[in-house]
Parts: sequence; structure tokens; C-alpha cells
Amino acid sequence: MLTAAKEMFVQDTIDLSPYQRFSDMKHGLDQQLTLLKCPHGTQIALAMGKRRLTNRELKELELVMLSHGVYLKDIVGDDGESARDKPLIDNMPHYQETMLLCKNVRSGQKLASSGNIVILGDVNPGAEIVAGGNIVVMGCLRGMAHAGALGDQSAVISAYRLRPTQLRIADHITRPPDNEVVSVKNPEVARIRDDKVVIEKLKI
Amino acid sequence: MKSRVLVVTSGKGGVGKTTTTANLGTALAMMGKKVVMLDTDIGLRNLDVVLGLENRIVFDIVDVVNGNCKLKQGLIKDKRYEALFLLPAAQTKDKTAVTPHQMKNLTNELRNEFDFILVDCPAGIEQGFRNAIAGADDAIVVATPEVSSVRDADRIIGLLEAAGLGKSKLIINRLRSKMVKRGDMMDIEDIMDILAIDLLGVVPEDETIVVSTNRGEPAVLETASRAGGAYRRIARRVMGETVPIETENTDNLVDKFKRMLKLAR
Repeated sequence: MLTAAKEMFVQDTIDLSPYQRFSDMKHGLDQQLTLLKCPHGTQIALAMGKRRLTNRELKELELVMLSHGVYLKDIVGDDGESARDKPLIDNMPHYQETMLLCKNVRSGQKLASSGNIVILGDVNPGAEIVAGGNIVVMGCLRGMAHAGALGDQSAVISAYRLRPTQLRIADHITRPPDNEVVSVKNPEVARIRDDKVVIEKLKI
Repeated sequence: MKSRVLVVTSGKGGVGKTTTTANLGTALAMMGKKVVMLDTDIGLRNLDVVLGLENRIVFDIVDVVNGNCKLKQGLIKDKRYEALFLLPAAQTKDKTAVTPHQMKNLTNELRNEFDFILVDCPAGIEQGFRNAIAGADDAIVVATPEVSSVRDADRIIGLLEAAGLGKSKLIINRLRSKMVKRGDMMDIEDIMDILAIDLLGVVPEDETIVVSTNRGEPAVLETASRAGGAYRRIARRVMGETVPIETENTDNLVDKFKRMLKLAR
């Protein structure tokens, strides 16, 4: 593992895939970093093979690296692709115009914009938000939201609490399943994946 | 004290606007204030019946705004309180018989005489609603713990905000604490989550309301009535007193125990 490691700057990836247990992996990383003596501020990627890290494990590895004065550059999976989840901000389509509203949108009220709409408040049942671009609700989205209303399939709808009566993205219309009460207690994002509207945990 | 015009509204019908107006008006009069209640539900008048004043009606609100009679002639004095008056709605006309402009003039005229002008708003969001809110300083929104009522209240709050009545207050009416405890009814928190305005009071479901409404005697007159007690506390809050909100629906064993500990200390 350490054969090519003597030359600094050359190695920018440490292979952690041989370790089975996380405690061994952490210890191994610590040892390798001690041997490498990288200059402060070096960015190092970690190769994980097939293994997926939890957020907590990732934090712990980062702390080990920080104690050696190096930073985590990336997590590399089996295929050489980055195994880290791409932040949402990369995937959101860009719109120049954004409408910002700092109040609750109540039943019977309608908001429309050809660009993004950002609401600092709740959107109540019976209210309608229609945006050509993305929709962000920094509160509870209980009403109807339509993102990408002009046909943008890549538009997203995100909310601090996503409990809509109906969601529309471009020409897709979805509603929550009947007879199923799901109360997720974290921010979520809705987007089109494989021609279906899916709801995912919001990662930034 | 500057006089205040309060409109009692809800959007949905049958949630207790008229009962609230009658009880709040009577309670404020009991506290020594000069109060007039305006029934703006033209064509479907009720407030006079609830107050037991139906047989005294000669002129109505349409006569007053059109100048068919003097304002003093249209006002009906309550049987029980000297300082309580009613301006009844017309029964044979419809909402278009009065305009928002006329309502504004009417409430402004009444300001010279009264401490509180309570406007009983009809259900709906059409002209009757626009008439009722035209001269108001503040709005009291009545909602029952039902999804449809809360939805309509939300709509009404939006319309009130658009009309410049941004600080409306909420009365939750007909709350059944037993059903809330079983989880079969929306609780105060659920409603406040959606409506997000100040809570003026919570009125429990109470059979005595039916009796008092039919008899034409507001429940606040009966000391034993739970709903009446809630309305008396609401009246004190309207007067600016700080009265804790009834929280019997959250009153579980732990809370009781905590209270006992506090008392012991």
C-alpha cells in the first residue's frame, strides 16, 4: 500500500478499500498519514472500493485527516467516479430571475413567476405556486407547487417540510399516496428522475 | 378610550360567527362598555334572534344607510343591558342593498357613540364580506377544529391581509377536548400551525349554547356555562387584559403533577 507513497505530492489518493472494519480503516488512515507527512493543506482523496460510508463515518475520517493537517478532496468509488453525493446546487437549473416572498401564502392566493420562487414562510392548502424555474419553500409546503411550468424537466421543488396537496414539475403531476400518512421531519426535494417525480432528502 | 370596530368573520357558515358576536357584545357590555352589534347578513338575519330582540325590529341597516330613518331609530336597545345595542339586517333585501362605502360611513358615525362596534359578517367572500370588513379596524376570525373550516379561515385571513386588516385574531370554537385527546379532532396546535395568527380564545363545545341561542339569551349571562365563561375571558382579552388561554386539551397527568409541584413550592 505504501510503495509509491514516499514521494510527496505524487500520491493524492489513499486506498482504504482493503479494510473491512471501520475502526481498522480509521487506524490505517492515521498510520498512512503519519508515514506520508504531507505538507499542511494537501488535499487527499480516499478510495473506498465498493464500500459506502455513512455521514458519521465520513466525519470521523475527515477529523483524522484534519489532525494531520490535510483535507479530504473526494471519496472515490470502484468505478473511479466520485462516490460522494453531488450537492443539490449543482443539479438545479439556473434562472436569472427569482421572486422572494417573506410571508405565508394562504388558501386562494396564487404566486407565479417565470423564474425561481423562494418563500420564507408556509404555503397553505389551497394556495398555488407556479414557477418557470425552481421553487424553494423555507417553511411547510402544504399547497400546490408547479416548478418548471414552462417545460423545464430539470426544475426542482424543495421545502423545509414537504407536505403538498399536489406537486407538478413540467408536465408531470403527482400527489401523495392515499391512506398513507408519512411525516418526514427533514427538508426534502422533489425532482424528475427517470421520467418520474421522486422525493429525496435535501442534501446541500 | 378610542372606539374600535371589530368584524367577526369566518368564511365558512355555521361555525359560530353570530353566537360569537352576540356573546362577545354582551360580555363587553357587562364590563361596562358601550357596544353596538351590526348584523350585515342581509337577507338571512340571525343576530336579532340569538339576542331575543326579533320582535322589536322596526327599521334595519338598509333603512339607516339609505336615509329612510335616523341612525338612532334603527338601533335597538338590548333587554338586559342599557349600553348594548343592535342594528339588525334587512330580511327582505340582499347583500347588494348596501355598499362598502356606505358601511364605512355608518361605522364612522357609530364611532362617536360607542366604545365597541361589532360587525357580524355573513358567510362567504362576496359582497356581504366586503361590506362587513369595509369599516373595520381589526378582524376576529372564528374557526372550528375541522379541516374545511380551517381552510376557509385561511382564505379569509389572506383576504383580510389584502384588505389591510393584517392583525386578525383567531377564536377556535366548538373544541371537544375528549375528541382531541383521542386524536379524532384537530388540536389547537394543528390549527395554529396552519393559520399562524394570534389566538384570542378557545371556546369548548357546549350544549348550553343551543339552549341559550334558542331562548335568545347569550350564554355569557349564565355563570355556569363553560362556553359563556370562555366568551367572558375573550372579552377581557379584547379589552387588553392578559388572560391565559384555556389549555385543557393538553392537560394530562404530567401537567397536573407539574402544577401540583408548583403549588407545593
